[in-house]
Amino acid sequence: MTIRHQIEVETFSILLMAAAVGTSFAFFNNAPKIRNISVPVMAIAQVSPTPAPLPKAVVTSQTSPDGSKKLTMTQTINKDNSKTFAFVVTDSATNDVHPIYTVTLTDETMSIPYNAFSPDNKYVFIQYNAKDETQAWAMRADGQPINATTNEQYYNVTSLFTQKYANLTYDQVTGWASETLLIILTKNADGSEGQSFWFEVPSKAIIPLATQF
Amino acid sequence: MMPKKIHSHKRSVKSSSRPKRRDTAFIISRLTLFFGVALLCFFGTKTLIKPQDAQPTCANSKSCISDLTEHIDNNTVGVFEGKKVMPPQIDEAALSDAPVLGANTEPGDKHIFVDLSTQTLYAFQGAKQVLKTFIASGKWGRTPVGNFHIWEKLKATRMAGGEGADAYDLPNVPWVMYFFHDFGLHGAYWHNNFGHVMSHGCVNMRQVDAKALFEWADGPDGSKLGTPVSICNQFTNGQCMQDNPVQ
Repeated sequence: MTIRHQIEVETFSILLMAAAVGTSFAFFNNAPKIRNISVPVMAIAQVSPTPAPLPKAVVTSQTSPDGSKKLTMTQTINKDNSKTFAFVVTDSATNDVHPIYTVTLTDETMSIPYNAFSPDNKYVFIQYNAKDETQAWAMRADGQPINATTNEQYYNVTSLFTQKYANLTYDQVTGWASETLLIILTKNADGSEGQSFWFEVPSKAIIPLATQF
Repeated sequence: MMPKKIHSHKRSVKSSSRPKRRDTAFIISRLTLFFGVALLCFFGTKTLIKPQDAQPTCANSKSCISDLTEHIDNNTVGVFEGKKVMPPQIDEAALSDAPVLGANTEPGDKHIFVDLSTQTLYAFQGAKQVLKTFIASGKWGRTPVGNFHIWEKLKATRMAGGEGADAYDLPNVPWVMYFFHDFGLHGAYWHNNFGHVMSHGCVNMRQVDAKALFEWADGPDGSKLGTPVSICNQFTNGQCMQDNPVQ
């Protein structure tokens, strides 16, 4: 090998090494930087629970996002062990109470989701909890029928969705995308998040979405 | 004959010194070439891969550029996802005399943590947790991960951005606490889906929670920074995990 060739080989090797080192540093520099900061967390004293008599009425509630209304559910156990669930909406400013729905169930239960109120407080959705599924029921927050023509008190959003999209696996209703749109999530066969939908409350329209919520 | 020998000796002296200078210059040139190419490749690669991790500096693409000051626009209508929304009426005098959060807590350093994985906000005063609530962080735009401080507090402002079907124009966004450019903690009156991603990058809160936090948190005061805000990928047992934080 002549000196010229030797120099060319050496130069090429240097260029190659430099490129490799520079690129490696760039990727290393871009690797996720994981940083921990900690804050001392107060230890909570453990208290042994003492047995308490079974309450006759259990009250749960959820405030509207603006704080102006409160949805309250009172669960009462009846003599035949059935449970009555009574829902009312209270106006925080006037203390006016509007009964909106009452139901008596044997095995199933009812509950109030975190995002119960529509943003304008005109509607609420509550949950019916059966053994195999949880349903979302949408109703007016003033106690009036949601459909004045048919006198329906509420729309069973879950049933309406599964009737229309029997091939999809309903997951849950999470909350309100707007004043009239409930967000429905579905699941794929492998358990991953499926397509999302809107349920429009006055019209009962179910709108498929291009993006997942 | 003798002069020739001297001449050749001088020549040999000269030729033995010439290789040393050539070697030094050769090494310097090679090192220069090496580092020059390495730097070129380093910055070139960073330029190519950087856009994937780039953190946008605006949450609200329109109002971020035009105005980040306090705006109270009562009796106006907003737009969100193609629908009109009625903003809340803002009463400029409506602030409690004393903050509700931390009212019965010993004084201590305040710190706000947001756990993006569970969409939960925690507020601490010293070691005492004074607030835990669901939030809604970035869906249409990423909420920046990192350690920040509240740099501005506004009772209300207008936020606008997006394009086409995603365009929004929201007056009277209440209880705004900017912590990084125009990314802020604030009340949201146009949706109620807390606990799930919803925003364009800001940390949306229920109005009652945003108000309580606003009255408790501190903005900047002279040389003193505002309340620290840590946006975490996960926040567990007091540990804030941050992947590739902005700062």
